[in-house]
Amino acid sequence: MSDPVVSNTWQSPEMTKRIARRHAAERRFRLLGLSAIVLSLLFLALLLFIMLRNGISGLDWSFLTGSDSTDPDSAGVWGAAMGSILTMLVTLVLSFPMGVFAAIYLEEFAPKSRWIDWVEVSINNLAAVPSIIFGLLGLAVFINTAHLPRSSPLVGGLTLALMTMPVIVISGRNAIKAVPPSIRQAAMGVGASEVQTVFHHVLPLALPGILTGTIIGMARALGETAPLLMIGMRAFVASPPSGVTDPASVLPMQIFLWSDEIDKGFVQNTSAAIIVLLVFLLAMNGLAIYLRNKFEVRW
Amino acid sequence: MIATIVLLAILALGLVGWFTARARARMLYAGRGSMHSMPVYHAWHVVLWVVVPALLVWAIWASVSPGLVDQAVLADPAAAPLGFDEMQRAAILSEARSIASDPSFMGFDPLANRLAEPMHAAQTRFGLIGAAIAAIAALAGGGYAFTRVRGAFPARTRVERAVMLLLLSASLLAILTTFGIIASLVFEAGLFFKNVSPVAFLTGLHWAPANAVGNDLDANFGAVPLFWGTIYIGAIIAMAVAIPLGLMSAIYLTQYADPRARKTLKPVLEILAGIPTVVYGYFAALTVAPFIRDFAALLGESNPSTESALAAGLVMGVMIIPFVSSMADDAIAAVPRAMADGSLAMGATKSETIKKVLLPAALPGIVAGVMLAISRAIGETMIVVMAAGATARLTLDPFASMTTVTYQIVQLLTGDQEFNSPKTLSAFALGLVLFAVTLVLNIVALRVVKRFREAYE
Repeated sequence: MSDPVVSNTWQSPEMTKRIARRHAAERRFRLLGLSAIVLSLLFLALLLFIMLRNGISGLDWSFLTGSDSTDPDSAGVWGAAMGSILTMLVTLVLSFPMGVFAAIYLEEFAPKSRWIDWVEVSINNLAAVPSIIFGLLGLAVFINTAHLPRSSPLVGGLTLALMTMPVIVISGRNAIKAVPPSIRQAAMGVGASEVQTVFHHVLPLALPGILTGTIIGMARALGETAPLLMIGMRAFVASPPSGVTDPASVLPMQIFLWSDEIDKGFVQNTSAAIIVLLVFLLAMNGLAIYLRNKFEVRW
Repeated sequence: MIATIVLLAILALGLVGWFTARARARMLYAGRGSMHSMPVYHAWHVVLWVVVPALLVWAIWASVSPGLVDQAVLADPAAAPLGFDEMQRAAILSEARSIASDPSFMGFDPLANRLAEPMHAAQTRFGLIGAAIAAIAALAGGGYAFTRVRGAFPARTRVERAVMLLLLSASLLAILTTFGIIASLVFEAGLFFKNVSPVAFLTGLHWAPANAVGNDLDANFGAVPLFWGTIYIGAIIAMAVAIPLGLMSAIYLTQYADPRARKTLKPVLEILAGIPTVVYGYFAALTVAPFIRDFAALLGESNPSTESALAAGLVMGVMIIPFVSSMADDAIAAVPRAMADGSLAMGATKSETIKKVLLPAALPGIVAGVMLAISRAIGETMIVVMAAGATARLTLDPFASMTTVTYQIVQLLTGDQEFNSPKTLSAFALGLVLFAVTLVLNIVALRVVKRFREAYE
């Protein structure tokens, strides 16, 4: 065994040492990856734990049904929740049809032209434009030019609709793209027109995917604060708004306003409002996942 | 009030048109057995002819009638004492308008109170005229369309043409939004740059809009400290957290975790991206910032501030982790399987394959993902508003309070000052810079991703 060539084989002490070192590096790397995930999830757990600890005792019936007040004990979240619901309603009514129509046009009918390229580039960019820029747009166009009522769910909903529409267009296009061409050919084959093919056959099949994308976009809009800050939805609103033109606040804005209060009671209120908002968002995302799993067809 | 009634009436007329046209078309259909279009298309054709012209007429009338109302009110004897000063006239008229629409509204000017009555009368009169014209338009359109309900009439083609127009205009809305953003930012920023030179704005080192009065505007609108704060928090501190954690979690999830663990871990990680930024901001201000202040005191920093660049940057980095992770995931998945297999077949361990083959091959995609992440981080608002502070300063100290572009936009626009002061207009100039930078980052990143995918296809 003293042959010099043999000392280079796998059994030689240097080689086993080397292999052990490489395997140790492998384990270290694997551990590093695992700890990155664990660290991120720990942060999430810490955040949720602190919000629950601070807020859970503040969650009672009078908190859920009351409106904003200067007294932390009688302040509640319903006024802001109502504002959120009205704002989301305006956003949904505007962005869903417009987003779906745009997605259908771009995916099914658009001719290859420079104009359409511009539309695509601009949709992809709008999806990544900072939300505060949409707030500046809303301030300049809806409030200073069109003179719509300041801090109303109408203006908030319009602004958020412009922000949500690109998200719906992108998810809608993917859902429409996933419908196989054979469906279209079969419809055409029995004499349906192009528009009939799309509206009677392609759209119903793509709808679960579109709805999933819409819910995700709406969840994002529900948690948005910065653009609404720009259009002045930070009014102190002591009673729930009764229409889309009344001054209103929304849930994230209520969280922001309460977080500025120095009174100790508002710390509890802020965390409790955060719990309410997170429950809303969780429910929406859960619905989106459920829809996707239940109705998604793998072709 | 009158507008709602007109709208409902138009829709009701449309509904009536739908049913009568369908019934008529069905009768024809039953008689002949063959038509160009199904009855329902004839019905929609009639609806279009009822609703569209009526709405157009009403919209035009709604934009014209306020002027006519004002003229009628000015011609009223009660308006005789009104002076000829344009500004004063407009103010009193708008006050009278508010009283007319809401009697509980208290006017300051007695003249406005007296004018409210004729204003209300004129509004009603012109509203009724408009409603009548709209009704005529609806009936005329409907009548015309109803005469076309004939066997050979191609109602379906006409309706489908209208649908295509609707689809096209929906997709043009995206361009309109982009155009609206650019136009409003450029316009307002243009007003700002009339007073402050762009060079001073982009290169000045002193930011104090509160002191900016009179002639020394240029000296107080230097935005470099804001740019530095934005880059330091969003592109340096946040990325120092998000890149290693996001990249390593993507590697672990795609290369090591077994499929079942991946299926649960990935959505849980995505929750981090779904939490509203205002919640992160509150968490940063409530928990992270005091912790970092104590840590700074421990390191011997004298009198550290509660608001620090580090607190905002750290939390922002955590928020971006899932984004970086999913971009890295896509980039790694796009590398052809054969490259990794080749490396493994040569005897390399998995981690060696990842470090020496997969990551270099996926690098363009990862870099593009990081660029998108940076564009997100610098546009992030609520975390910095709640945790970063208001002082504009140029420093490398992560424990110092620092301000960002987005923070200043919020600060400048949420006060009660008049809209056209340089102070509020400067927010739009900052917005323009932010928009331009994120736009460039996005376009370049999307192009890199596209080219990178093509390279391996």
